[in-house]
Amino acid sequence: MENVGYLFAAYTIIWLVVFGYVLSLSSRQNKMKRELESLKEALKEQPPK
Amino acid sequence: MSVRNILLGCATILMVASLYLVFIYVPTEATMGVVQRIFYFHVPLAWVAFLAFFVVFAFSILYLWKRAEKWDVLASASAEVGTVFTTLFLATGSIWAKPVWGVWWTWDPRLTSALILWIIYIAYHLVRSYAGGSRGPRFAAVVGIVGFIDVPIVALAITLWRTQHPGPAIFQGGLAPSMMLTLMVCLITFTVLYALLMLIRIAMKNDESEIRRLKLTGN
Amino acid sequence: MSFWNKALAIAWKDVISEMRTREIVFSVLVFAILVIVVFNFAFGETQETLTAVAPGILWVTFAFSGVLSLNRAFVAEKEDGCLEGLMACSAGREVIFVGKLLGNLLFMLVVEAIALPVFMVLFNLPVLSFELITITVLATVGFVALGTLFSALATNTRAREMVLPILFLPLVVPVIIAAVKATGLALAGQSWSDMSTWLSMIIAFDIVFLVVSYLVFPFVIEE
Repeated sequence: MENVGYLFAAYTIIWLVVFGYVLSLSSRQNKMKRELESLKEALKEQPPK
Repeated sequence: MSVRNILLGCATILMVASLYLVFIYVPTEATMGVVQRIFYFHVPLAWVAFLAFFVVFAFSILYLWKRAEKWDVLASASAEVGTVFTTLFLATGSIWAKPVWGVWWTWDPRLTSALILWIIYIAYHLVRSYAGGSRGPRFAAVVGIVGFIDVPIVALAITLWRTQHPGPAIFQGGLAPSMMLTLMVCLITFTVLYALLMLIRIAMKNDESEIRRLKLTGN
Repeated sequence: MSFWNKALAIAWKDVISEMRTREIVFSVLVFAILVIVVFNFAFGETQETLTAVAPGILWVTFAFSGVLSLNRAFVAEKEDGCLEGLMACSAGREVIFVGKLLGNLLFMLVVEAIALPVFMVLFNLPVLSFELITITVLATVGFVALGTLFSALATNTRAREMVLPILFLPLVVPVIIAAVKATGLALAGQSWSDMSTWLSMIIAFDIVFLVVSYLVFPFVIEE
């Protein structure tokens, strides 16, 4: 199985990039959900002017 | 069962199936050996990237026509996922090329057009962030439209230019049925993955505008 | 006033303002000659090498000089607010596009007209042939069409000098490829029929770029 190193490299890159992208999306989304919650809380306490 | 969870389930099952097909089921190709298996992910990545580009084109036109924010959200989400997929198919193509053709890169029509496509994607995001306020989505839509029309023209020009110096051929002969099956399953897998990533990204963008709105009207 | 009168009026305004300040043509011209000289140092080992790379050098020079000139195209409008003025006087967005296009085209042609003889002298090549001039003019039209569109876009972004080349050069590549190919054939003294494929490609690209830019331009400058 010559060149199997290249095969491994290609699939690893695909996996790393897709996984990394999904992770970053996830963490950004969690951060936003928290921000959204806290904003909604703050708005409930002071009614909009 | 939200759409997203269904897609997530399908994507997972399909990915496992694809990996099985690529690494266990499909026979090794005669001339290129084991490395040829990169093909089964490389090609679907490319096709879905082009699909994403077309989606950007279509929603950019819709946005310029109707001016509703949701069209811009769809266009920019597709552009983002498209950029990721384009980067991946360029990278895997290069990794595949090195053992098979002996070079990391060659300026043949397909590769060069793909590189231009990648640059246009980058320009799309650049313009969106560099133009202020309402201009960002509008300018990005312009780039999405003009870029999509231009990429086939670029490909045509480079093809006509390069037929003077024939480059390495990508595939001789047709595909065996087992290879076709593997390719198709991988294609479906990546299309589902694209749809899933789009859904996530769109939900995020909607949350972003929600936050912006709340900040403006509330505090 | 008819469409063409309005467009020509806009172009004429640019020409007059340029004649007073000479800021575009002069600096772009100096830049073009500098690029030609530097390329000569980079590639000019032998006359054969020079002849081989000449078409590419010529068009890289024109492309970069063109970007430089296009960078300035909408700056005056943006800084002095003329664009709103032009749009307010019911000129129609398309007229503004054609007017700016004609102005930009004229500036580039002037730069090319001076750069070509310089090129001929420095490279010892028969650059002033009818074929080559035709190729240059035709390719410049397509270049400037797309360039005017993206110049208007880039002017409204930050880091505008950077945005224009990144956006515009990849998209205008077909015209440059065809021009380089045709120029190579022209320099080698080939006949019109040999060049006809590339010439018809340049014309086809010109038409596509003109139509697309014309249609999309109003979306860029609306406020």
